[in-house]
Amino acid sequence: MPLHVAWRILNHQKGRTALALGGIFVAILLIFVELGFFIAVPQGGMLIYDHMRFDLLVCSNKYIFQAESWQFPRDRLDEIAKNAGVAQVKPVYLGGAKWQDPGGGLRLDIAALGSDPQAKLFAAPEIDSQIDVLERPDTVLVDSQTRPIFGPLQPGRQVEISGRKVTIGGDYDLGTGFLGLGVLLANEANFFLIFPMRRPEAVNLGLVALKPGADPDQVARELRSVLPNDTQIFTRPELSSHEVSFWTTRTGTGLIFGSGLVVAFVVGIMVLFQTLATQITRQLPQFATLKAIGYSSAFLNAIVLIEAVLVMVIAFVPALAVAIGIYSVIRVQTLLPVNMTAALLGGVFATTLVMSGISAFLSLGRLRRADPAEIF
Amino acid sequence: MAEDAIVTVPDTRRSVPLAWRNLVANKRRLIRSSAGIGFAVLLMLVQLGFERGFFNASLGVIRQLDGDLFIMRASKYRFGAEDPFARRDLDAANGVAGIAGIVPLYAAWQDLFWQEPGGDKSYLIQGFAFDPDRSPFLLPEVNEQRDRLKQQDAVLVDRRARPFLGMAGDARETTINGRTVHIAGSFALGPDFMSNGTVMMSDRTFAGLLTGNRDNPAAVPVEFGVVKLQPGADIAAVQQALTAALPKELRVLSKPQLIAFETNFQADLSSAGPIFWMGTFVGFVVGMLISYQVIYTDLADQLPQYATLKGMGYGTGYLVRIVFEQAALSAIIAFVPAWLLCLLVYYVIGALALLPLHMTLALTLLSLALTLGMCLLAAALAIRRVITADPAEVF
Repeated sequence: MPLHVAWRILNHQKGRTALALGGIFVAILLIFVELGFFIAVPQGGMLIYDHMRFDLLVCSNKYIFQAESWQFPRDRLDEIAKNAGVAQVKPVYLGGAKWQDPGGGLRLDIAALGSDPQAKLFAAPEIDSQIDVLERPDTVLVDSQTRPIFGPLQPGRQVEISGRKVTIGGDYDLGTGFLGLGVLLANEANFFLIFPMRRPEAVNLGLVALKPGADPDQVARELRSVLPNDTQIFTRPELSSHEVSFWTTRTGTGLIFGSGLVVAFVVGIMVLFQTLATQITRQLPQFATLKAIGYSSAFLNAIVLIEAVLVMVIAFVPALAVAIGIYSVIRVQTLLPVNMTAALLGGVFATTLVMSGISAFLSLGRLRRADPAEIF
Repeated sequence: MAEDAIVTVPDTRRSVPLAWRNLVANKRRLIRSSAGIGFAVLLMLVQLGFERGFFNASLGVIRQLDGDLFIMRASKYRFGAEDPFARRDLDAANGVAGIAGIVPLYAAWQDLFWQEPGGDKSYLIQGFAFDPDRSPFLLPEVNEQRDRLKQQDAVLVDRRARPFLGMAGDARETTINGRTVHIAGSFALGPDFMSNGTVMMSDRTFAGLLTGNRDNPAAVPVEFGVVKLQPGADIAAVQQALTAALPKELRVLSKPQLIAFETNFQADLSSAGPIFWMGTFVGFVVGMLISYQVIYTDLADQLPQYATLKGMGYGTGYLVRIVFEQAALSAIIAFVPAWLLCLLVYYVIGALALLPLHMTLALTLLSLALTLGMCLLAAALAIRRVITADPAEVF
């Protein structure tokens, strides 16, 4: 019954309702954008991992985050391979190199990933189809999201990587994450030609693939009990929470986007409250009449609450549609993995529900002024 | 002046501040609408402040360099990228007129790993090194304590570094690259978006940490030659002479040019600019919507009054002016508390996120212009109602 009244109120003055919906639409959009950044910016640290094929990650016990991974002895990988649940173990080498055009120009920092091409590090068909290119001597693949300052990335271009002449064999599109301005892929032999000081015995990351049916948590526990404490094991969810919490709590990222989110939340409540309060003021005579007829305050409160939730739900749909559009713009502009996930959608929906609840509660005070004796 | 106007022009259209009276007629509504617009202003100010803070963080250490000209490799693409050159390359500058002195500045962004005192993890940090007799920094704390750097393996640490590095504590000792160093003092600089903390040391300690041999610092390549000019020397002329005298691989920048060099890099290549501009734009749109709602509702409520004014013979131009005046006034009324609240927000977030958030005149003017813009734009959208107000229909 209050639902019916609330619906009739919204239907009564369509222009005014449209105005209210517009305000709430923007408030929801604001939450989508700020929450999107809050979630996506730390996720930049997981971008490269997300494209890698593995069930467990092995790394040094000194590991900080992907770009500060430290090294551990390659022998540890042989020990891991002995576990009954492990199907394959692949070493990954990571290094920071300097990129320069042979003709001179800027010496730019680029991250280099070294691995056996046959190990198929990445779940990316475009890399798999270029395995023969990766096998060529002094040839690398370059991530196409490497910044324009590096110049054209067309195959056949010669560049100097840390002083060594290398040919760009092709490109692939995974994103550079938080590894820096550019990323290149090389086979192990080429990697060690670029980094003559590095030894194959010191590995940055080990990617462990499990046999079908093996439980990652179980195998991780077994490996932890046999490995010396110079290495550590992450399951995928553990790695994700480690990287995200590094960026969220250890850098300014979490606070900056967190405070953006808090301000957006307050602004959203202000918009909703403004809208609801205006609506109630307009309909004060009607509410007073209902009171005079004998409807309880609880009934009137319910109408306002339902009205708040209704406008919010209706405005949510176009806000979602526009947010998906904005996310794709942000992805292009900032190269951040801002995606509309179910969790994000649910989170924004829950947040906006809370917002409309708070703003409805705030505007109830106005309803108490509905005095049948005074209104006419 | 105002009294004068009342005496000589009895016409009320000049003497009655109608826009102001409309605004304050309903105090409760004024507070509500100011709060709505004000929070949108706060949103814009916070986003703009972050954008500025991001740039200021990356420029913080450059601004603290005590030099008129800076010699660096021509292939360097940003301040914080290692691209050093041989120290003897600076010798060519010795004969150039107008130079009072050149201080070699050593720097590392990828090579120094600081162990958290008492902890077991080591983290990449930013490190600067120089001859303790000639500091290339303006930081008074560094210059007061530079003699302490003459002790073997002594370092000064940034107590505004990110807390997990443990630089702010009272630990006297830790390791860098596995070698024990003595914490001889601290200074306040703050992290940027690339480095979490900074240490300063002597060139000898630096050479020891990087090469294991502290007795031959001259063999370690230099990141910058920090040039001080003689009083009265023409910066541009010396810059030209220096460039001509030095090897082709080196370039010479003045301090403003070095700041512009880093600013351009950050603006072109980092995601932070677009993120915060987008945030500002969203704040603008939200603010416009809020003020549209406020103005539209006000106009709707006062439509009979406007129609009456029209009926009395006031022209549309007058009514339009009133609406715009009212919009501008509500912009300013909302702006002031938002600006004050923002000072507090900057202070708190700046201290927590170690970000240099400062309210500047430029930021104030920009945000005030945006606030006025959004309110006036909202008024322009809402004004149709007044223009079409028909005195005959309203009652």
